[in-house]
Amino acid sequence: MSRRTTIQIAGYGLVCLTILLVPTFYDDAFVLNKYSRYLVLGILAMALSLSWGYTGILNLGQATSFGLGSYCMAMGLKLRTVPVHTGSAGLPDFMVWNNVQTLPWFWEPFYYMTFAILAGILVPVVFAILLGWFIFRGRVTGVYVAIITLAVLVVVNLLIIDQQRYTGGFNGITDLAQLEVFGLTFDAYGSSSYYLIATCLTFSLFFALAITKSKAGLILQAIRDQENRVRYFGYDVAGFKMFAFAASAGIAGLAGMLYTIVMEFASPTFLSVPLSLSVVIWCAVGGRQSLLGATIGAIVVTGVQGALSESETFLDTWTLIMGFLFIAVVLFLPKGLAGAADALIDRLLSRTGSGRAELEIMKPNTAFPHEKEAAE
Amino acid sequence: MDILAAQIVTGLSIASILLLVALGLAIIYGTTGVINMAHGEFVMLGAYSAWFLQTFVGLSLIESLVPIFAMVAALGWIAERLVIRHLYRRPLDTILATWGIGVMAQQAIRLSAGGELRYVQMPPAMANSISILGIEVSAFRAFVLVLAIALFALTWYLMYRTSVGMKLRAITQNREIASCFGINSNRIYSLTFAYGAGLAGLAGALVSPLKSVSPEMGTTYVVDAFMVVVLGGVESLIGTIASSAILGQLNGFLAFYSNDTIAKACVLVAIVIVIRFRPQGLFAAKVRA
Repeated sequence: MSRRTTIQIAGYGLVCLTILLVPTFYDDAFVLNKYSRYLVLGILAMALSLSWGYTGILNLGQATSFGLGSYCMAMGLKLRTVPVHTGSAGLPDFMVWNNVQTLPWFWEPFYYMTFAILAGILVPVVFAILLGWFIFRGRVTGVYVAIITLAVLVVVNLLIIDQQRYTGGFNGITDLAQLEVFGLTFDAYGSSSYYLIATCLTFSLFFALAITKSKAGLILQAIRDQENRVRYFGYDVAGFKMFAFAASAGIAGLAGMLYTIVMEFASPTFLSVPLSLSVVIWCAVGGRQSLLGATIGAIVVTGVQGALSESETFLDTWTLIMGFLFIAVVLFLPKGLAGAADALIDRLLSRTGSGRAELEIMKPNTAFPHEKEAAE
Repeated sequence: MDILAAQIVTGLSIASILLLVALGLAIIYGTTGVINMAHGEFVMLGAYSAWFLQTFVGLSLIESLVPIFAMVAALGWIAERLVIRHLYRRPLDTILATWGIGVMAQQAIRLSAGGELRYVQMPPAMANSISILGIEVSAFRAFVLVLAIALFALTWYLMYRTSVGMKLRAITQNREIASCFGINSNRIYSLTFAYGAGLAGLAGALVSPLKSVSPEMGTTYVVDAFMVVVLGGVESLIGTIASSAILGQLNGFLAFYSNDTIAKACVLVAIVIVIRFRPQGLFAAKVRA
């Protein structure tokens, strides 16, 4: 293991530990709920970093996986509530309002919480594999991947809003029970949910790190930098891309489930275009080519957003400030905060004489070979 | 037969609005490769300019078209000079930067004009409907269609019959070589961006009487416009007009058979499939690079 990797793992561990220790200092339920929301979005941005920063797939529809996960969890939790009008085995309230007589078949398995939790990860993964198969087997690259994922996001969003009878439509699925697993109850406004989310964050972060450090992870980065060259070496580029795309979707689905627990509802806004683009922004601010960077980027940006929107002086102008900051980061810190930190570590390492060569992997992103493609 | 004709007219009306919004985007994207997420906000700014000029200056919509074009074009020019200019080598990052510009534009409007819906009066002379070949058509919608085609023709003329257009096409094909021949590519890019933004502003002004004006109105347009550009094929003006027509008609017909939401979803699915099998678009121009 190289020295750089050791430093990296130590850094990741330190950040996760800090996050896990927060509730011992802040025991305010409202604050913890707010923080857990930021952490969930951090997981989401980290998932995008895996597909965008490491594989060069700019997924503008990251919110699709997020929303699917969140709806799976909401469906499971909804069936745990006792409907007011129709009794204990009755239908969810919005179905009653929409004159649905029997529970639709695809709702049935969600009576089992295990199924709901598995579905929250597997539905986005399967969806991503199918979509990835469709996109990458056709060797669609660059901006067209971005457009397709964006279009698919809009389609899924429209369908969910349109099928009000089964999905709660515009209002989403509200009024949920609390998640109970292994005798533990996860209250959105309690430290238990915070710990759950912080643990999931730690696990998914190290899971993603393990992927990037594996041989497959190296190939993913090679695909990002020179797709054709990897193909000529005989690697199944589409297969690797599908893998990264699906892994990213699974993590995003997990984040979606956690988001439902924190927010206590699922709504079509979780699959909206603005949210999906915000994820890209967080990722870029934090540093797309760093899993931890993307996570922290999301936490910092949403945290600052939350703080500014609550303060009196910035109530009206915070969006303006955020917009300005985004532009500034894109112009002056193209690799995000992590890029700046990396340069710092690099300088420290080179002073002691090692770790220089490895950094060469961090080539500028060439995810958009707009002109190059035409030349080929 | 009447229903069919009415459907075609509805489709044409949708298509004309799509064309207006997409035209500016197609020029900017086709020439500079900048993915302008703020395009919807330029549309929105055009609509607000129309509202402002009507409410506070007292200009009618038709009279205010020229000032609106100038104003929004100037804003586009400023955005290009300050931000986008520095990102031509990183086209991907333009998504992020222009999104930031869009967010700022939205908030600036919310702070100055308020977040509530605004309404723009139709020009009184065009409030009625006229009869063309026995079909009742709203005069204003017909006017929008005619103007969209006129703007398309103007753009085509600028691109293919003027020296600026020739320089622009040269830069599109190979920026470095074009620069070697003494073409000031920075200046051409600024002009292109300003022109594209101005067109978006006009689009916003023209749709403002048809739909309510709000700070968020741009978001829906930018997605639709991108679909038109991608479907039509980058660097192909004919493709832009053809794909607006196809998408408009498809949207109109599908909405007639089901509802608006499903129609939109179906159209998007169709576009996704087209991109998958023909990423260069349906009407891609042969470009030698």
